[in-house]
Amino acid sequence: MYGRKASQLVRELTGGEKGQLKAFNDDLFNQVIKECSSHHVGLQALFRNMQEEGLDIQTTRNADFYGALIHHLSLTRNKRCLMAYMYNRAEVIRSLKWKLGRVLPNELVTKLSNSEKEYFKGYSAALDAYMNEMNLDLTVDMVPPKDPYIQVRVLDDIGEVLLTDRSANLARYSMHFLKRTDAEQYICQGLMEELLS
Amino acid sequence: MDSESGPADKPSGGAEELEALVSTTDVELLKRAWRNEKAAPEILRFETHLIDRVAGQLQLMEETVDDFVESGIDPLTVSLYQMDLDRTQFLLRSYLRIRLQKIEKFMFHILKTNELHDRLSKQEKNFTRRYSEVIGKHLEESVLLNLPDNYQSLLRQSTTSEEDDMVPEPQMDAFVVCRAREYVGPSELQDSNKSLATDLLMEMEPGELFFIPFKRIKKLLENGKVDLV
Repeated sequence: MYGRKASQLVRELTGGEKGQLKAFNDDLFNQVIKECSSHHVGLQALFRNMQEEGLDIQTTRNADFYGALIHHLSLTRNKRCLMAYMYNRAEVIRSLKWKLGRVLPNELVTKLSNSEKEYFKGYSAALDAYMNEMNLDLTVDMVPPKDPYIQVRVLDDIGEVLLTDRSANLARYSMHFLKRTDAEQYICQGLMEELLS
Repeated sequence: MDSESGPADKPSGGAEELEALVSTTDVELLKRAWRNEKAAPEILRFETHLIDRVAGQLQLMEETVDDFVESGIDPLTVSLYQMDLDRTQFLLRSYLRIRLQKIEKFMFHILKTNELHDRLSKQEKNFTRRYSEVIGKHLEESVLLNLPDNYQSLLRQSTTSEEDDMVPEPQMDAFVVCRAREYVGPSELQDSNKSLATDLLMEMEPGELFFIPFKRIKKLLENGKVDLV
């Protein structure tokens, strides 16, 4: 059945948690591409048939024409599905850049195809260049601030760290009173938690 | 909608001019621009002068807060200035982030439409250029170049398509809530294609809230006659 593999590929996007990436399904992807090529071959064969019978391709409407039309429509549908698959994964990859910064942890990197790794690097560079030009870090301050300073408890051993106005020794389980913008990156990575009293 | 900029009391003489700087309508303007940008389906004009002024004021505020900390002024005052600073910074960052999200979502449409492209700031234009290369390359290498010849276009489904049908466009028909700031007569709400007789004859008094498709009030938003909520 034409198009079934492509819709399976797209369905992979919806299964699983929102915002989580599954491993790039190379296998299924290549199968859909092969299907596209065979559609194209079929399409051209049918057109050649029509030409050999001396019929005008633009205006004749016979069985060969409709066969070619089905090939064409299946091809465009496969193309749309493939593009949707890549595009939606790209959206998730972009959100990873906002959450995790420039470097991705290994378990995520294995889920990406090579082209996606390049895309992540390129997007990272473009975003960083924009933030440099504006002289602002846009990845902090993601929620409206309630207090300028917050209490945090350190979950993992981070060690001696240089903050905006002073340096602090962030040993495991120590509590600190930090500026919100300083603490945010550690909270994002899961190395600290905010103490909401 | 009251502006909370600046502390409630004026602690010392030197802080008055600062108060004047921060509690001018610039923060209010930024809040307005931020709200409009958040609610509108398409990207609006970049407020270059406003953003430049706000960035300068934020810089000034930061230096002042640092001075205050060093000169040992009462910590309550310092934290109030700090909170105000944080809030304004959040507005600025959020404003820029929302615009970036819209750019990423409607990248190719913006590049195609001059009117929209002109609404970007210089830095946003640079970002758009770089990002379109990145995503174009990514999609081409993984999908398009592997497809048969006539189907390799990024913007069209195939070379037989009559227009760029693979470019997502913002929903101009989306309903938004807006509030008029001045009196708006029925003629200004016209959809340019329809005639006066068949269209809704509606007028807006200042302060009234309306639930209306975005494209009707697009021009009014640009003129500052309505605000999105």
